[in-house]
Amino acid sequence: MGELDRLAMYTQMVRIRQYESRIMQEYHADKSPAWDIGAGLIPGEMHLAAGQEPAAVGVCAHLKKGDAITAPHRPHHFALAHGVDMNKMTAEIYGRTGGLCKGKGGHMHLFDPENHFSCSGIIAQGLPVACGQALAFQRKGTDNVAIAVTGEGAANQGAFHESLNLAAVWDLPVIFVIEDNDWAISVPKDASTAGASNADRAAGYGMPGVRVEDNDVEAMYEAAGAAIDRARAGDGPSLIEIHTLRLFGHFEGDAQAYRPELATVNERDPIPKYAATLQELGELTDDQIASIQADADAEVDAAIEFAKASPEPAPEDALLHVFA
Amino acid sequence: MMRNASVGIIANPASSRDIRRIVARGPATTTNDKINSLARLMEGLAATGVKRVVSMSDAGGIAQGLAAIAQKPSASHWPDLDFVDQEITHGPTDTISAVRSMRSQNVGAIVVLGGDGTNRLLLGETGGTPVASISTGTNNAFPRHDEPTVVGFAAGYVATGAIDSSTCTYRAKSLGVMDGTQVMGALVDVAIVDGDRIASGAVWDARSLREIFLCFAEADAVGLSSVGGHLRPTSREEPQGLHIRLDDSSPVRVTVPIAPGLVRELGIASVSTLEPQAEIRIESEAGVISVDGERSMRFVSGTEISVSLDTNGPLVLDVQRAMAEAANTTTTTKGEDTHG
Ligand SMILES: Cc1ncc(C[n+]2csc(CCOP(=O)(O)OP(=O)(O)O)c2C)c(N)n1
Ligand SMILES: [Mg+2]
Repeated sequence: MGELDRLAMYTQMVRIRQYESRIMQEYHADKSPAWDIGAGLIPGEMHLAAGQEPAAVGVCAHLKKGDAITAPHRPHHFALAHGVDMNKMTAEIYGRTGGLCKGKGGHMHLFDPENHFSCSGIIAQGLPVACGQALAFQRKGTDNVAIAVTGEGAANQGAFHESLNLAAVWDLPVIFVIEDNDWAISVPKDASTAGASNADRAAGYGMPGVRVEDNDVEAMYEAAGAAIDRARAGDGPSLIEIHTLRLFGHFEGDAQAYRPELATVNERDPIPKYAATLQELGELTDDQIASIQADADAEVDAAIEFAKASPEPAPEDALLHVFA
Repeated sequence: MMRNASVGIIANPASSRDIRRIVARGPATTTNDKINSLARLMEGLAATGVKRVVSMSDAGGIAQGLAAIAQKPSASHWPDLDFVDQEITHGPTDTISAVRSMRSQNVGAIVVLGGDGTNRLLLGETGGTPVASISTGTNNAFPRHDEPTVVGFAAGYVATGAIDSSTCTYRAKSLGVMDGTQVMGALVDVAIVDGDRIASGAVWDARSLREIFLCFAEADAVGLSSVGGHLRPTSREEPQGLHIRLDDSSPVRVTVPIAPGLVRELGIASVSTLEPQAEIRIESEAGVISVDGERSMRFVSGTEISVSLDTNGPLVLDVQRAMAEAANTTTTTKGEDTHG
């Protein structure tokens, strides 16, 4: 495990939060009528990961070139923390030719071969893919690892169990990261899941399972570091579940009328909490807070400008770079 | 025999899932295992005539799971099962508010399902109510490895008054950490650790250990108290504890199971007896204090931290002694006297 860099983790969380907050504004800015997800500059559904930054930042702090991530429909935090280019990612979200997939994928289909990053709107679909990547690393004899990210709702899909089984049977260098944000759209976890923790399910497949409570970025950092070291060393797969927080709706436009704990969501925001810890440790000043925020603002604004300036795909290119 | 005898249950949904699954070879105790333990406990309690059980509420699925079993025909002979009406914060205060409610309802015994950390929360809360512990955590020194069904018998005999609790209980020791006033307590160990990280709780890096204070140290222990167990075993019921200073360069070496499946060699600078009430100043300038194996608080230079041993911990129900007492007083027998 490398050296813990608290300031870098804080900075990354702020950067991701600024991104999600601005995309939220941009998404709604010109949606008219508001219920038409096809309308406006950012077409399609939008699932934002604000509040879930500790999961991505704690894991990605340990990754190196060649390591792979598969993310689900809520992918931006892992993409940014894993080094996916913010400009190209934003252009993709806007459906522009400068995007990662030339604007044909959108926010749930960010594919970045350079960084081995992919995601999918089909929940739990990334888990078998991550096992495949891990198998490739194993066969090539590299010490790279694959990170398979999924929500707690998707952990009830068959693909989740098949992937844990295969990873255990083949001893693959894969780490399953479950973001338990209490909700799968409007379904609370206890209405869909037998057993309170996916760490328990890992035990059933003979792999270590850890649950990180309190959306704590440093606890996630330590658990992920231990799991990644273990996988790199050839000791096989692990599962880490983090109890995290969905700060916004399931999708943009979700009124969340089903959510009884909505009133306390802002108090549970992990970023001010981490800032307070760093200030207590004397590792973060008020000036730094302001300058980290200003840098994030500028970077995100520039990415949005880049996206808007990028051309839309031409109608005659509709059948290029797609398959069916 | 006490009519309407009741027993309280505290169960920690979060125990046994921390990082020691990866950094050591910590075993998994799943939520379903915990629910099953409680169902076994209920059978023992039912057998002794306990009428009512009050259980803590939680959001980790244990209360829900136990309630579901209690509804089944196979559990129709169980005591009535009620849950403490409490706000769930997902934190340690859930345990404390549940214990307070149970005491106000005059339970005859409290059974705790969890590790050292869960039992520690009972410090100062249980007064004269006997406490029986069932182990679920990772490296527990405080709870013994008793079968929950049998713990149910023992707690039930005490709660119903079938046996006299003074025959099978003892006062546990405790440790207090002070920075002027008492800030934390422990039931097994207080350790002073280098660094400023507390996020993952568990202590597994042996080189970071500076000092260990122990309430007791059994020769067959696992975890931090094993250091004392390998050097100078100290029982749960004698008034003294142990104070150990570590130094990696010391020629005195001891190889101990610092966590399940994690064996480390430590250098020992000194071992001394810890007398009750003696306040010992710690040597480190800055670092982290761990209580019962969990890094819990940072301290910075300029803070004067001291540790002292007390003999005023929870009233512990010794299951083996309770069962022997029940057999000797023929509480366990119906019909003809088989003694003689
Ligand atoms: C195979 C499949 N079934 C259903 C859906 C519809 N769907 C989209 S997100 C979602 C819930 C996902 O919940 P969770 O895994 O907890 O992730 P979260 O949204 O909370 O991040 C569902 C059912 C889907 N995308 N894919
Ligand atoms: Mg979810």
